[in-house]
Amino acid sequence: MNTWVVTHDTAVATDLIAGARALASSVNAISLGAEAAPGADLTLVAPAPAADELLEGYAAAIAEELTARQAQVVLFGADIQSRLLAGLVASRLQTSVRNITGAAPDWATITRTVYGGLAVATDAIGAATVVLVVGPGALGEASAPGVLGEVKAWAAASASPGLQVVETRSKTQQVVNLAAAKRVVGVGRGFGAEADLGLARDLGAKLDAEVACSRPIAEGEHWLPVERYLGVSGAVIRPDLYLAVGISGQVQHLVGINRSKVIVAINKDKNAPIFAAADYGIVGDLYEVLPALIAAL
Amino acid sequence: MKIVACFKVAPEAEDIQARPDRTLNFDRAQWKIGTYDLNAIEAARQLGDLTGGAAVGLSAGDSELTNAKLAKDALSRGLDELAIIIDDALPQAESYQTATVLAKAITDLGAVDLVILGAGSSDAYTQQVGNQLGAILGWATLNAIDSIAPQGDQLIVERLIETGVQVIQVSLPAVLSVTAGINTPRIAGMKDILAAGKKPITTLDGGALGPATATVVSQLAPEQVERKNIIIAGSAAEAASELAGLLKTI
Repeated sequence: MNTWVVTHDTAVATDLIAGARALASSVNAISLGAEAAPGADLTLVAPAPAADELLEGYAAAIAEELTARQAQVVLFGADIQSRLLAGLVASRLQTSVRNITGAAPDWATITRTVYGGLAVATDAIGAATVVLVVGPGALGEASAPGVLGEVKAWAAASASPGLQVVETRSKTQQVVNLAAAKRVVGVGRGFGAEADLGLARDLGAKLDAEVACSRPIAEGEHWLPVERYLGVSGAVIRPDLYLAVGISGQVQHLVGINRSKVIVAINKDKNAPIFAAADYGIVGDLYEVLPALIAAL
Repeated sequence: MKIVACFKVAPEAEDIQARPDRTLNFDRAQWKIGTYDLNAIEAARQLGDLTGGAAVGLSAGDSELTNAKLAKDALSRGLDELAIIIDDALPQAESYQTATVLAKAITDLGAVDLVILGAGSSDAYTQQVGNQLGAILGWATLNAIDSIAPQGDQLIVERLIETGVQVIQVSLPAVLSVTAGINTPRIAGMKDILAAGKKPITTLDGGALGPATATVVSQLAPEQVERKNIIIAGSAAEAASELAGLLKTI
């Protein structure tokens, strides 16, 4: 299958191209304002959009190029801008978009999560062209990147009629990449107050772990930014260690963490579903267990 | 300003049971408006109030949509009227198919200035119907919108992307998909529920559904990952000390 990878980030491109290579014989790429990544036969490199323009303005040019080059499978990253671009390009190609969690060789079938993580749907691809949004790690463990193929400058036209970026505010804190974290501490409703998250941060510092959370902590309480919540609609992680503290373990959360190598749970409710999903558990009050654990590490 | 809020009705995930053979049992599942779609309805109402505009609900689904309770639920949350499209294939339709049907309905409604959608549906959560709808209509299209403010005959919106916030001036007509954090959807009071019964409901023709790009081979609960399920016993101090020893080996 003639596979194309469309990204605006060289690291994401490297990951997707390596994953696609394992499944398809022909892999090409379009890179928007980022350096070409290794592994693709051909990479078209477009300049970064102007400050008041959107990256998504390339949608029409991308669709035209993909049609001319008879692309069959088009892959996008799972970030907000890539998602919008995927939808805009797919409509121009008169096809649908799927968020995939896995794929079979030559894209014969793909899997995706449905009903908030309750089930996995397997689809057999039937259309001439499909657009797939690929989350980190969905195409398997990152293999060694290939060699840099042919790279061509691409003078594509960009236009976003009706949309003008008037200001871009970058995050002051470091952008977190939970998908790449080796150790993660997750906090949930068991924490009674925002100030108490200090305990989780101290534990995270001892373990060299990122601090993440369940959805209510980010979307209900706003104690942590939304990119730090784990679950079907949040980040999906695969660390060596995931330590869930005060998290009950709803199915939507478990989908985000069940690829962790070792799962440890601390919860005062011995019937919490998180224990069934954990390798090790402590049934106890986090306000007693965490200080003792921090002291013991 | 005429604002359309799109929503999808789907079986509530919490009521779906996985059978021992991993297939899904929907018998006890109630059909509900998607949680994220409630943010779209609320955003339409708030902007309607700010601009003196109308908020119209739009949903494409099967005959579940004719359930009076569901229509009342949608209308009691601040919508002025409701338009529905009924086709048995719509609940399982793909993003481009759904977007095509909604685009036709929005054109038929006429004089629509703004379409608002939630972050994603509660069943497939593809997060693409708004993006694809905007492209089909040829309107200004954005996702991940975290705030909307009218400015003259335009909108100023804030878009949450991974690296920060984009402040974007949007000319109408436009299609915006909003975040789950943009607002707190209202809970309808008795007065709202009574008033909802008197609001108009229109049935629109969605036209023929286009071809699907794939067939669903199976839909199964995920395979359980084998876990050790070891509970570390003892007092908080004892258990913590044992766990600390374990963590040092991971």
